[in-house]
Amino acid sequence: MSLTTLLQALVSGALVGCLYALIAAGFSLVLSVSRGLNLAHGELVVLGGYAGYAAWLLLGVHPLLLLPLAALATLPLGLVWDRLTARLAPPVELWSCVLTFGLSLLLQSAMTGFWSGEYRLLASPALGHGVALGGVALSHARLAAALVALAAVGALALGLRRARWGRAIRATSLDRDAASLLGIDVERATRLAFVLAFGLAGGAGLLFATIHYLYPAAGSELTLLAITLAIWAGIGRMRALLFGGVALGVVEALTVAVAGTGWREPALALLLLASLLARGGALAREFGRRS
Amino acid sequence: MTLLEARGISVAYGGLVALGGVDFAIEERQVIALLGPNGSGKTTLFDVLSGLRRPAAGDVWLRGERVTGFLPWQLARRGVGRTFQIPEPFGALSVRDNVLVGVTFQARRPRTRAERLHEVERLLTIVGLADRAGDAAATLSLGERKRLELALALSGRPALLLLDELTSGLSPKGREEVVRFYARLRAHGLTIVAVEHSFAVLAEVADRVLVLDRGTLVADGPPAAVLDSPTLRTAYMGEEE
Amino acid sequence: MKLAAVLLVLAVLPLLGPPAYYLYLFSTAYQFATLATAWSLLAYGGQVSFGQAAFFGLGAYGAALASLHGASLWLTISLGAALAGAGGAAVGLAAGRLNGAALALATLATAELLRGVALNWTALTGGGSGLVGIPSIPSLPGIPLELGGRRVGAYHLSLATLAAALTISAVVLRSRAGLALAALREGETRGALLGLRPVPWKVLAFALSGVATGLAGAVYAHTLGAVEPDVVFGRVFSIAPLVMATLGGRSLLGPAAAAVALYLVSELVFHPLAPALHQLPYALALIAVTLIRPAWRRIP
Repeated sequence: MSLTTLLQALVSGALVGCLYALIAAGFSLVLSVSRGLNLAHGELVVLGGYAGYAAWLLLGVHPLLLLPLAALATLPLGLVWDRLTARLAPPVELWSCVLTFGLSLLLQSAMTGFWSGEYRLLASPALGHGVALGGVALSHARLAAALVALAAVGALALGLRRARWGRAIRATSLDRDAASLLGIDVERATRLAFVLAFGLAGGAGLLFATIHYLYPAAGSELTLLAITLAIWAGIGRMRALLFGGVALGVVEALTVAVAGTGWREPALALLLLASLLARGGALAREFGRRS
Repeated sequence: MTLLEARGISVAYGGLVALGGVDFAIEERQVIALLGPNGSGKTTLFDVLSGLRRPAAGDVWLRGERVTGFLPWQLARRGVGRTFQIPEPFGALSVRDNVLVGVTFQARRPRTRAERLHEVERLLTIVGLADRAGDAAATLSLGERKRLELALALSGRPALLLLDELTSGLSPKGREEVVRFYARLRAHGLTIVAVEHSFAVLAEVADRVLVLDRGTLVADGPPAAVLDSPTLRTAYMGEEE
Repeated sequence: MKLAAVLLVLAVLPLLGPPAYYLYLFSTAYQFATLATAWSLLAYGGQVSFGQAAFFGLGAYGAALASLHGASLWLTISLGAALAGAGGAAVGLAAGRLNGAALALATLATAELLRGVALNWTALTGGGSGLVGIPSIPSLPGIPLELGGRRVGAYHLSLATLAAALTISAVVLRSRAGLALAALREGETRGALLGLRPVPWKVLAFALSGVATGLAGAVYAHTLGAVEPDVVFGRVFSIAPLVMATLGGRSLLGPAAAAVALYLVSELVFHPLAPALHQLPYALALIAVTLIRPAWRRIP
């Protein structure tokens, strides 16, 4: 592998890794407040992608202007998921897997029904160009996606730390009962977390659609990715998610450069498996800590 | 003969020190009372001795063998039995099957199924649960569950029995029965470390009293001496003004 | 016993001369029943698996590869099942360190990993197009070909696979292993404190479940004549047993009966109505299983 190829992989991987961090951030947010694992998270991203794609076909404007629309497409589903998750019997971590597995199939079926299995790409001319830096090609689409993702993750982190709604969410995720006793409306905080996470997923979907082919089953690898990052970054730690996302993006890009695109999904599955074996116990303890 | 020896046992949960450098040794056939207010580290010490928690520092020896960090099943098969303050039986299994688990998976299990079932009946009779043998453990009352806990702890034929608040929640009559149990168990050759809050019970059965206060062993001696001491009062009531 | 009588009745059904399509339908139903029974064995031990497709696919590919190298039917099926059993043992080892949701995710990741490997390791597995030309199953000697043609052999072999899975389950449940698994399910920590080592029993449970599932996969390979990664490692073989076994309840025959019933309903009722949405009933069933909480739902 030449140096240029290596650098290309590193840079492209790092850029898409920022997007992965955004995707994982939403997943992690839901996990932290509800202790529920949303295995349909990837499908929600893809749904946002389809919504953004449809809007772009209709309106033809710069894709980034369509971010709010994509977010709005998935945001209301957050309320649905919140209601369903609240009805789960303990252990919630396990039953949420079953529930959201079903929901992911439901979403996939719906998307297949609407858009068929064809591959689609939001190839907007507005983002069609790129820059070349020392032999490394950086497409505008990837740069834009990375920048927007960084901004979104940063804003989320800031909000969680400074804003009242953010502190309420954090308190709820640390110790639900204690937060409730302190007067925090934990149900509202949970609902807000879901809605926020789902909106971010939709927006991430639009960004995803500009740099990657969309098809109904594209969500599964995104979900695997989100879970892997959440395991390593711990629950709700944004900066760690960012570093993890970039690392994951780079590893993925290197895998593709060395072995070809077909090995992406199995590589992601292997990473998840290894992460579970390495840190599964630690995650279980974190859950147990906050009964 | 020294059955158990602990040196320098330290356990911390994040920044909170649960046990800080605990040392003691236990001889065979002793009944040792473990006292201390809530949060003093008694359950943590039991967790370490039964293998549920690995100490951050320190070592434990069982009959001269270094068992620090051994897994629960390894300690169980070396003769350590334990009850829980809040009983945790196998809820959906019958009382009989509960005890059968302990009898079947211990180190020197009876070879035939008939012998194992006989052993189960014997244990159930000892704790007075023979008439509930077929019922699901989840349907038992608290007192009955405590008795099941005891049967479970005995099912592995332990040499060392760690009893966590066996009498709490029981009526005075229930407590009397437990006192009788302690005496019988010691007569059968068991060594017992019992966490109890009832000083009356302890004064009757204990050979020795250990007192934990905020993770440190602050007293270790015969009941008469320890139960009257100011150290004990301080541990439970806090510093005198 | 009741079980033997039922199996005997089912075994002689083909002699009534039903159309080949129905033989095929029931064969597949028996395969799902095998999967459900195998899943149920794991759940009995408190292990929730989202990745039974891993063992199904291993069984299918094992049998396919063996047959393409000239092995006889019995050998291919045995090798397929053995490969799946070995995979199960490996997962069981991993299960020693994981519980609950983490284990479920690990099984899911394993199935996805194997699917990806099968898709890409073209030299061994034929890649995306898979392996073809697997010989079909001959009928038992003595059964005239007019009765159901070439489907009869597959019918009987599927039934035999189901019988094997039920037998494995029955034997385990009544043995020391059954007690160990029940104790693991009800309280792994309590069991450990009583001298019960979790890992060997988890390995056993996963290995047996793998063997049973792999048997079904091997028969499937011979029935279809071809294996493809997206099919034999497909999610339907992970989801279906979960749904069917949960709806079937705790008994020995419950999951199998539920599987047959559900499969027949989905094929005869749903499929003709909306073929493109064939995943929909499973999706709805999964959701329903978590939200409706009947007393018999047993997974801890």
